[in-house]
Amino acid sequence: MQKLFSLPSLIVIVLLIVALPFVQRPVVAAEVLTLGIAAVATNLLLGYTGMLSFGQALFFGVGAYCAGILTTKFGFSAFLAIPAAMLFSAVAAFLIGLVCVRRSGLYFIMITFAFNQMVFFIAYSWTTMTGGEDGLPGVRRPSIIDDQWSFYIFTVLVFVSALCVMKLFVNSPTGRILQAIRDNPDRAAATGHDVGRYKLIAFVMAGMFTGLAGAIFAFVFGIVPIDKIDWRFSGDIVFMTLLGGSGSFIGPVIGAAFYTWLQETVSQYWDRWPMILGIVFALVVLFFRTGIAGMAELVAGKLTHRRGAAKAKQMEAGS
Amino acid sequence: MSTGLECISVSKHFGAVKAVNDVSFQVPPGALHTVIGPNGAGKTTLFNCITSELKPTSGEVRFAGHVISGCRPHELPAFGIARSFQRTSIFSNLTVAQNVWVSAFRAFAGTRVEVLRPADAHPEVTETIYQTLEEVGLARYADAPATELAHGDQRLLDFAIALAPKPKLLLLDEPTAGLSRSDTQRVMHLIEGLKSRYTIVLIEHKMDVVMKISDRITVMYFGEVLAEGTPEEIRANPRVREAYLGRRA
Repeated sequence: MQKLFSLPSLIVIVLLIVALPFVQRPVVAAEVLTLGIAAVATNLLLGYTGMLSFGQALFFGVGAYCAGILTTKFGFSAFLAIPAAMLFSAVAAFLIGLVCVRRSGLYFIMITFAFNQMVFFIAYSWTTMTGGEDGLPGVRRPSIIDDQWSFYIFTVLVFVSALCVMKLFVNSPTGRILQAIRDNPDRAAATGHDVGRYKLIAFVMAGMFTGLAGAIFAFVFGIVPIDKIDWRFSGDIVFMTLLGGSGSFIGPVIGAAFYTWLQETVSQYWDRWPMILGIVFALVVLFFRTGIAGMAELVAGKLTHRRGAAKAKQMEAGS
Repeated sequence: MSTGLECISVSKHFGAVKAVNDVSFQVPPGALHTVIGPNGAGKTTLFNCITSELKPTSGEVRFAGHVISGCRPHELPAFGIARSFQRTSIFSNLTVAQNVWVSAFRAFAGTRVEVLRPADAHPEVTETIYQTLEEVGLARYADAPATELAHGDQRLLDFAIALAPKPKLLLLDEPTAGLSRSDTQRVMHLIEGLKSRYTIVLIEHKMDVVMKISDRITVMYFGEVLAEGTPEEIRANPRVREAYLGRRA
């Protein structure tokens, strides 16, 4: 793992995992990690491939409903339902991706958005399966991970494995080609890479891991609320990703933590907390394009640069 | 059967505009063939037909006996064809070495999608990258972000991306466009060094640049071939002088 992640990223991950359940309730900490998986997965598209998907709630919701329905209606164990939900999300992402990746820019955003709406209305109307507007309640955790601490540890394991797999993916040749496509799709095609195929791969990876996040989420509070498949939640995921920093692998996790903190803490004092979200978002887009992670990198860079410069001066004085 | 590049009565019409009309020429293996012409002569449209960005309205382009017109752009490298772009076209957020990796890896791995190993785990690819960077003279910048390169160096990086897969045919679209005099000389010097190892098709706007290095020249004028021949023949051709040189003098 040390080779896979840089030291600062590793510190951030470990700090988050250890500190979160003490700062917040363990279930909320588990929620943060779940949203973190979804945000990092979304960043495979946004930050690594340059595709802004406004339909990630679709996959989060599909994963959540799939896990929820399999356990409540068909008596699956969570340990079977979660991989099944992940697989189902991947298949959904493949089919939807076939249509979406043919377009880029604004059209891509609108198509993902349209699919999100479509699937939302399926969830909304198919009340016998999804519970419609009331959500799907009664999603029970298996007994060995039923108490909040063991469930948190389970979530940590899923979180860490998901991050490792996604990091291996972006470090792989395929991940590098995606970054090339992000920078210059025409040149990537001219060097012989089938841009559409690679975009589809990115779309499926993102959909699959967002679906995994959704599947875990179903067990966090034992309910699949309808708003997690709503397009507004797609916006929230994009928000987390950009706020944390789409230029960094780990950045979106920080964004997810900040988002949840706002929602959990500020919402207790002020009903209109999304306003703060809006203001913060505007500030990030206007002044800190690289998000929290980018800012931290900048500050760290300045500090080490200053130290390096001081050292150089010392050596100069010494000689 | 010729193994070089053949353009056989290539035409590209946009509505009533005949951007390229019935253009034919042959480039034998190892030759450097230049297409020149004033602005708007249809050079770039012809180039785009050869690189499969555009499908010719009629006629076809063949390379090594294969019909390549009508392919999709990403299929050309499989035939051993590489291209550079008129406006420097690199991957700006990758390092210099990673830029070259993109094409070198494609030549090494084919269309196989690889996710299990790290991108830099192939020593063969790394070797190709450094060889290529050495050749264009950018080896010392290998780990620098591509955007930090000077303008002329970025053009050389563009070349390196094209050269790394060791193509048989190199298509260069105005490689000196927008470059300073000294950078132009560096690029032309590089092209001279590549000559005879590759079959090269060069699209150029500046006539003086290409006279020295071309084996044959096709002059285009209003979408049609005005003349074809060796640099000496072209220089002596009165129609070319009138249409092209005369106007500039």
